[in-house]
Amino acid sequence: MDQILRYFFDFGLLAPYWPEILRGFGLTVSMSILTVLIGIPLGLLIAVARLYRIRIVNLLIILYIDFFRAIPQIVLIILVYFALPYFNVVIDPFWATVGALELVLSAFAEEIFWAGINAVPKGQWEAARSTGLTFGQTLRSVILPQVVRITIPPLTNRAIGISKGTALGSVIAVPELLNVTSSIQSNVANPTALTVGAVLFVLLFLPFVLFTRWLERLHATPR
Amino acid sequence: MRTGADPDAIVVVEGLGKTFGSHVVLHDISFRVRRGEAVVLVGSSGSGKSTCLRCLNRLEEPTVGSITLSGEAVTGPKVDLNALRRRIGMVFQGIHLYPHRTALGNVTLALRKVLGLSSAEADARARSHLERVGLAEKADFYPAELSGGQQQRVGIARAMALEPQVMLFDEPTSALDPELVGEVLGVMTRTKQAGMTMVVVTHEIQFAREVADRVIFLDKGTILASGTPQEILERPENPRIREFLSRTRN
Repeated sequence: MDQILRYFFDFGLLAPYWPEILRGFGLTVSMSILTVLIGIPLGLLIAVARLYRIRIVNLLIILYIDFFRAIPQIVLIILVYFALPYFNVVIDPFWATVGALELVLSAFAEEIFWAGINAVPKGQWEAARSTGLTFGQTLRSVILPQVVRITIPPLTNRAIGISKGTALGSVIAVPELLNVTSSIQSNVANPTALTVGAVLFVLLFLPFVLFTRWLERLHATPR
Repeated sequence: MRTGADPDAIVVVEGLGKTFGSHVVLHDISFRVRRGEAVVLVGSSGSGKSTCLRCLNRLEEPTVGSITLSGEAVTGPKVDLNALRRRIGMVFQGIHLYPHRTALGNVTLALRKVLGLSSAEADARARSHLERVGLAEKADFYPAELSGGQQQRVGIARAMALEPQVMLFDEPTSALDPELVGEVLGVMTRTKQAGMTMVVVTHEIQFAREVADRVIFLDKGTILASGTPQEILERPENPRIREFLSRTRN
């Protein structure tokens, strides 16, 4: 018991490191938020583009989503960070991580939105178009409001899963929470910093997990 | 029954044909609908009557033939479909109310987005149309809170609120419980009495007898007979129609 306390809960050791930990936490939070704020709208945009059913465009979209759903996030992050400079695109580790995760999230989000759009009965389109609404008006006022309702739970789940990948930024030296806490751990030869890191990760993501649980309950009960 | 100049004709259909691949759904359909007239399309399922109706507002694309609405082309590449459709109301077998909008919201959507009415104007007009179908007090209910018959009456109000030149009814009562059919047919009868031009696809032979000015009998994608309800539904000469009527007797 003593050992557990000494190794995992020796907070006194961390005193000089709190500013660094909080900065790391701040980076994790901002990378997660950026990933979601860019990835989900991008996914929606692609799903809407796919609705126009232009053969060549849809072929490219399918290649895009299959590629980014198949590639491991860590591979993509490393690829973006180390390969792009060969094409004279220098990108800092922060944006390499956000960029890679946001591409992956957009691919998954597209599939969720696409499934949602297809789950709305064709009759909804016909009813709206029969009143003279344009394609765009029908999409905005009739279809998407229904799509959002059915896609929020799977989207939130997926957004949590992919945002957690911000920890992978540590492999390209983004000073985010995992990176900071694990280097403190080796500096002071005590893993308490990792305990703090783990707690902060859970504090960040738990509200979203609870939010999806609440949403799922909401949707499980008939209106 | 080729159509010549007819100032009263609102809908003129000439030589309409529709094929899906090699399957002929409609062949050489010609008819016209005059102002204030109710034309009822009958026939067994698969006879092409719904497809025919859906060609009139181009939810279905005709393969050949021409359709005009008040002398303006419905068919052809240069037609502004959205402008056309605001003049043609449609009521569906599947009703298709927007589930996320109230009864009022279902009616006001096109009034605001298509006709460009202000919220207040759209609300006022929508409420008067809901009142006409007897649902003034249900304006703030969501579709899921309404019975099938009430939903379909909202569907009629949604189409009628645009004040179309012609109303299309595609089997409006087929999806309803039998005890809810009457209220919808009642609204349709009043709509006709108010002078609305209507094209109706239905299996309600009694309704056709009472309300139709003309009945068109479709069989295997062609018009087998067309005439007054008495001619078609009371003493049909055609054995195919007699057989159909004996099977749908109600």
